[in-house]
Amino acid sequence: MTRTRSPRSRAKSKPPAGRLRPWLGWAIKLSLVGLVVVAGFAVYLDAIVQEKFSGKRWTIPAKVYARPLELFAGQKLSKEDFLTELDALGYRREPVANGPGAAAVNGNTVDLNTRGFQFYEGMESAQPVRVRFSGDYVAELSSLNGAKLSVVRLEPLLIGGLYPKNLEDRILIKIDQVPPYLLDTLVTVEDRDFYHHFGVSPKSIARAIWVNTSAGQMRQGGSTLTQQLVKNFFLTNERSLSRKLTEAMMAMLLELHYDKKEILEAYLNEVFIGQDGQRAVHGFGLASQFFFSQPLAELKLHQVALLVGMVKGPSYYNPRRYPDRALERRNLVLDLLEQQGVATAEQVAAAKKMPLGVTARGSLADSSFPGFLDLVKRQLREDYRDEDLTEEGLRIFTSFDPILQMKAEASVNDTFKRLAGRKGSDDIEAAMVVTNPETGEIQAMIGSRQSSFAGFNRALDAVRPVGSLIKPAVYLTALEKPSQYTLTSWLSDEAFSVKGADGQVWTPKNFERRSHGTIFLYQALAHSYNLATARLGLEVGVPNVLKTLGRLGVTREFPAFPSMLLGAASMTPMDIATMYQTLANGGFNTPMRGIRSVLTAEGQPLKRYPFQIQQRFDPGSIYLIQAAMQRVMREGTGAGVYNVLPKTLTLAGKTGTSNDSRDSWFAGFGQDLLAVVWLGRDDNGKTPFTGASGALQVWTSFMRKADPLPLDMPQPDNVVQAWVDPHTGQGSDANCPGAVQMPYIRGSEPVPGASCGGAAPAPATEVMDWVKGWLN
Amino acid sequence: MNKWLIPAFAALTVLGGCSSVPRGSIPVVDSGTAVSNNERISSTGGFRKTVTRGPVPSQTQAVPQDSGVVVMVPGGGAAVSTPISTEPFTPGPITPGPANNAPIQPGPVDSGAYNQGAYSPPVNQGAYNMPSPVAPSGIPSNNNSGGLSADEQLDGPVLALLTTAQQQQSSGDLNGASSSLERAQRVAPREPQVLYRLAQVRMAQGDAPQAEQLARRGLSFANGRPDLQANLWGIIAQARSKQGDAAGAAQAQQKAKAGY
Repeated sequence: MTRTRSPRSRAKSKPPAGRLRPWLGWAIKLSLVGLVVVAGFAVYLDAIVQEKFSGKRWTIPAKVYARPLELFAGQKLSKEDFLTELDALGYRREPVANGPGAAAVNGNTVDLNTRGFQFYEGMESAQPVRVRFSGDYVAELSSLNGAKLSVVRLEPLLIGGLYPKNLEDRILIKIDQVPPYLLDTLVTVEDRDFYHHFGVSPKSIARAIWVNTSAGQMRQGGSTLTQQLVKNFFLTNERSLSRKLTEAMMAMLLELHYDKKEILEAYLNEVFIGQDGQRAVHGFGLASQFFFSQPLAELKLHQVALLVGMVKGPSYYNPRRYPDRALERRNLVLDLLEQQGVATAEQVAAAKKMPLGVTARGSLADSSFPGFLDLVKRQLREDYRDEDLTEEGLRIFTSFDPILQMKAEASVNDTFKRLAGRKGSDDIEAAMVVTNPETGEIQAMIGSRQSSFAGFNRALDAVRPVGSLIKPAVYLTALEKPSQYTLTSWLSDEAFSVKGADGQVWTPKNFERRSHGTIFLYQALAHSYNLATARLGLEVGVPNVLKTLGRLGVTREFPAFPSMLLGAASMTPMDIATMYQTLANGGFNTPMRGIRSVLTAEGQPLKRYPFQIQQRFDPGSIYLIQAAMQRVMREGTGAGVYNVLPKTLTLAGKTGTSNDSRDSWFAGFGQDLLAVVWLGRDDNGKTPFTGASGALQVWTSFMRKADPLPLDMPQPDNVVQAWVDPHTGQGSDANCPGAVQMPYIRGSEPVPGASCGGAAPAPATEVMDWVKGWLN
Repeated sequence: MNKWLIPAFAALTVLGGCSSVPRGSIPVVDSGTAVSNNERISSTGGFRKTVTRGPVPSQTQAVPQDSGVVVMVPGGGAAVSTPISTEPFTPGPITPGPANNAPIQPGPVDSGAYNQGAYSPPVNQGAYNMPSPVAPSGIPSNNNSGGLSADEQLDGPVLALLTTAQQQQSSGDLNGASSSLERAQRVAPREPQVLYRLAQVRMAQGDAPQAEQLARRGLSFANGRPDLQANLWGIIAQARSKQGDAAGAAQAQQKAKAGY
């Protein structure tokens, strides 16, 4: 207005101002009050944002890994088993292996690019490798240019984790580890203005409103990635206006404190992408493993597009349950990428041709191998608190062998299928422990017939009467006294009764309810004769047998009743594995372990569980008891195995059947493999199986698949092989027809016989006698 | 409108400036606190204890040690046993020769596989087949006495792992050396050189009882390799004297010298 405004016009303009000023005054006052309230609220929100983000500690469950597969020339490993391991590790089969995580198979040769891994001892670097197989062995290991490699380790298979109660899990990723296209795709699909807005994007909101109203339905959301990130940090999912406003404010505050890279990185690790049973899958790192069994960095365009597409609705676009929807959504994303210039038309066209590529089953389920994981948990709980296990992201390296586990599970399933006709076989449960007797490491464990069922772990907790499995302890006690007992000592398998200290009379019986007269000591073990064993056990003394049991590694206490000699004692399959381990390992006891080492989340070594042994028995006695246990398999109660297994495969073992066949056991070993099998009913009822007809079947089926090395204990210095007459056990000679060699502790062998029991005397011996007589 | 916005922005800016927490990154690295082994040792002892414990207080053999395990010495201290009885064997109390007894079946590796009293070294070394002797490969000589002699040939993975273990041990990383040796042991479980080196590492870690046990295990595979046997007996002697068993140490030392 000009200065020449009349006072009247000024006066005229005043009333509007005057009318306005009270309003303005009120408005200013109100807005100040509102500002204070908002400011206060903002301070409060800021505190929350600070607390949640800086110093943000994601709770990472401990990760449990199987043993890494080591490769070297001369290793016993079949090509099929090797490929099984590669498949489990998510190696892509390609015609030519380029890039980490790829494998190419050409006849007997497999070329692959290993992925590196941080082990306890240090970094194993990723490298290209060529493996050539010959039969069941690795014939050659070389790098792709032909240079020989001495030993290569694959990364270990992740077999499970230890989860906190909220069952959160994630694989943390850094923003510089992401595959190409991921960031651009995410921004393009979810928040195009991400790099430009300040937390909320009015432009996106406006666009969303426009699209939704013109389409007549909710098509787009206007939230930024920042807002989504904030939303993910809240527990409840209410979508009220007040919640949205709060989230908007927090998003702005977040942008104030952190830069785009950091927010994006947090988003990548936080966003909810899927559900695995009870467990929520958060973050792209875990999603990549869960859906594709591959590390995030290896994903290709079509896989990235799928994952990003799923962010909008993880359940709705679940590729396993709704593959068509997922495919449609993925292709939509790919089109968008082409439209926005993120990917070229050719790349998008190629990507759209690809199938979803999602694995059939999420391999993360911590219930894949519940038996073994249970063992790991128990062993760890002795050294770590629960919070450390479930929150600190520890990496636990175990001795678990997934190939042996699968073979064990298959042998249980196959055998039950085969035995399905028998009455009562449906209610039979099973347990199995597989170890390497030379290292004392537990390699596989089955806690129940349905091995993926995470319930009662019978391998560790089913305490059942062991029956004849105890007998090697009796015979070992005797064989430790070579001046009194040898493998060819005579035992009487005749009925008897004995009165105990409490006046009770014990009358043992043989399984077939008949006596076998006088027999060799080793035969009594091979055929598992109760009467002979009971007599022998009483002779050497029940307390001594129990002491032997303790030396073998069984820590349970048992009362010194005679019935112990026939296996009235109850033990778990794990106890039996410990006991037979010492027998298999030359008398050296090794505490069974499933964990090798523990690293922190950053890969720093934390703890080792070293290999330890202790000599418990004279090797000579062990050599003898192994010889007797080999005879169990050749001619005794375990003789069925050589109908299935090659006769050159030397094995030793023992059957066990408790009273009324309530428990069917078998424990046996080769050189590098030991397995204990138990079958029985949880309600302790009678079963239709003896040790031989039940557990041994599972064991044989397993050994056939696993193909162990034949038992081959070096003959100790104090053991000699002597020729004996097969009928009398008396000393004989190499030249006598029918003479056999038996092992004896030096000094306890029968004197070489002068005659061959009726045949013409051996001339050599006569000459020697004559010469000796002449020299005297 | 402007009048509202300016105070609002001013407030936000002030808040931004007032924030006491310094501008930090959103840590993607999770916050595992550094945990030392010592805090994690179980109090119950047993085999799960860390191996870096001090020497066992001097005790005689067969006394329970702090690990709760009795170190038993069967057969009077010999890892490879001396004959139990020198008396001639007399037949057992039961009269021989029952008419109906089942005769002894010949074993599968019978007649001729073993000569009486002689010993055939194990052919299979676990999963790893020992290659035929080649030109001496660079077996690392260790700090202790007794580098391995020319007949102790190693190749391939075991040599590589033993070499790594040697490097780790030289640089003081005993846990790492132990780990590498255990890897070698998994590859070749019956190779006594691996057990020998493992025994050495245990001695360096202060675990004399385990050193002795590992050496004993090595001896059971070392037949026909006198130099290695001597070295193993040497370690047993060291371990025994560390445990205060002077007599046993002397015995072992004699066996080491005897050119076994």
